[in-house]
Amino acid sequence: MIELSGITKSFNDGKPNQFTAVDNVTLTINPGQITVFKGPSGSGKTSLLTMIGCMARPTSGRIFLHGVPAAVPFQLEGVGAVEITSLPERFLNDIRRSTFGFIFQQFNLVKGISVLENVMLPAYPTGEGRALFRARALDLLEQFGISRLAGQRVELLSGGELQRVAIARALINYPAIIIADEPTAHLDSKLSQEFMVIVGRLKGEGKSVLIASHDPIVFDSPLIDALVEMRDGTVVANRSCR
Amino acid sequence: MKRAVERHLNILEFTLASLLRRRGKNLSLLLIYLLVIFMLASLVFFVSALKREAAIILNDAPDMVVQRLMAGRQDLVPDGYAAEIARIRGVTAVRPRLWGYYYDALNGANYTIMAGDDAAAQPGQASIGARVAQARNLEVGDLLPLISYDKAPVMLEIGSIFPNESDLVAADLIVVSPADFLQLFNFPAGQATDLAVMVRNPKELPTVAAKIVSQFPDSRPVLKSEIQRTYQSIFDWRGGMTLMVLAAALLSFIIFAWDKATGLSAEERKEIGILKSIGWETSDVLLLKFWEGIVISLTAFLLGVVLAYGHVFFLSAPLFAQALKGWSVIYPRFQLVPVVDAYQLAVLFFLTVVPYTIATVIPCWRAATIDPDAAMRY
Repeated sequence: MIELSGITKSFNDGKPNQFTAVDNVTLTINPGQITVFKGPSGSGKTSLLTMIGCMARPTSGRIFLHGVPAAVPFQLEGVGAVEITSLPERFLNDIRRSTFGFIFQQFNLVKGISVLENVMLPAYPTGEGRALFRARALDLLEQFGISRLAGQRVELLSGGELQRVAIARALINYPAIIIADEPTAHLDSKLSQEFMVIVGRLKGEGKSVLIASHDPIVFDSPLIDALVEMRDGTVVANRSCR
Repeated sequence: MKRAVERHLNILEFTLASLLRRRGKNLSLLLIYLLVIFMLASLVFFVSALKREAAIILNDAPDMVVQRLMAGRQDLVPDGYAAEIARIRGVTAVRPRLWGYYYDALNGANYTIMAGDDAAAQPGQASIGARVAQARNLEVGDLLPLISYDKAPVMLEIGSIFPNESDLVAADLIVVSPADFLQLFNFPAGQATDLAVMVRNPKELPTVAAKIVSQFPDSRPVLKSEIQRTYQSIFDWRGGMTLMVLAAALLSFIIFAWDKATGLSAEERKEIGILKSIGWETSDVLLLKFWEGIVISLTAFLLGVVLAYGHVFFLSAPLFAQALKGWSVIYPRFQLVPVVDAYQLAVLFFLTVVPYTIATVIPCWRAATIDPDAAMRY
């Protein structure tokens, strides 16, 4: 479970161009579910996800990760929760690496290297043996039906193939939570629906999936469990879809 | 520990894949880098080896050479000086030497002519260096015609040719009998070019030299250590001159390498952002850039040093020979004894590999410290 308490994120504090992207958001996200953050551009969806994913710190408020096996000595005794907002950078990195997998709007794959190398990329600095994560990457490519592309450079792939490579990369370190930011923004309807099928499969494997999207194929999907509507940095509606 | 090693190996492997992506840029950089290291290492090897050769040869030189000066110029030494100097306490032997230079108008070369004992050359015979034999197309038994200072021909039969191994000291040498020497140069009898003095205790050399000067105010004793020091200075000076010529190339390389190593393209910045966003720490990114710098600079350094070693010690440094050995028509051809000065190599390493690696890492520092969420917003 992810618990957000009074999360605010503002930029350029104290300057004339101060801007509050997320404003006092309190929220609970249940584990093993697909939670979609819906809202127009600038509503604070991406900022909120970056803070949950340990990529940025909130200006104020606290985020707790419950029941997440994180390799840090900051587990709250008795509660089984990690308060991530006050952790030093090094531990945030550890949590980000081991707990979260990211799928970006532009896929953010590294050009010039092979599909397989792209998938393995998040595992390189973990210190795990290469043979182990290479086998895992090949297995993921097999699962997504793109093992034939393993040796190919990513710039030669189609949109759908890029999407699958990005998902495989997000899964390489066994993350419990997948964060996807506008994952269908560059896909046609058919590929967007295929994406939702894959997301449903991940949910079936017990993973929590957080998606920021304003695509109806995503937020109207019967697969989703919770829908959080955002506008101007605040949560305007939070409803269960079950 | 194992995880730390694995982390390095994994990042190193990604570094290699990463370098191969920009094959053209990195290969051209490597080649230029290699060339610079090759030139500098050749220079270091060659000067060290020549200095060592000179030191080895001078080991057999007399402890002291006594010359006589007339109006500040070297003049002939009467044999009587030798007998007097031999009486000084501590002097073990004094040998008057007859030697001089002969300009050969036929090929523009200068030969060193020396009077040897009977074993080296009988009257009417000469032993010559291999390069002299080559220059005059001579073999053992042939006649070498020289013109005396009286303009009379002096015909010398070649008794022997010095082997190639002695080229460094004997390339331009002609050893003749004392009688032929006197005839060739119209040299006055009872005089010598200089005196070779041997002293029992090297610590007494300055004292013996002082006694010689006191006894013969027109004499100039030259100690072996002074000759050694002069040779070292000459090779250092020549090495320095060559380095100055190379400096322009070196400077161009520094500018080129600095530009290539420090210039982070927009694509590289974006890549760093992606790596950060998928869980790479700042230290991981810097490690990647560190390995990039090391792979290029260390490869260039090691290859450059190995090639320079071959160039100097197997091929006798054809690229530097003329500048460093001296200027002459007759060049000694000899194999240098391999000598590697670890200190100079270490200096070369720290002046090339270290700055290049730092130049690669530093500009990435800023890019690597961006917030990982920046990649979310590309």
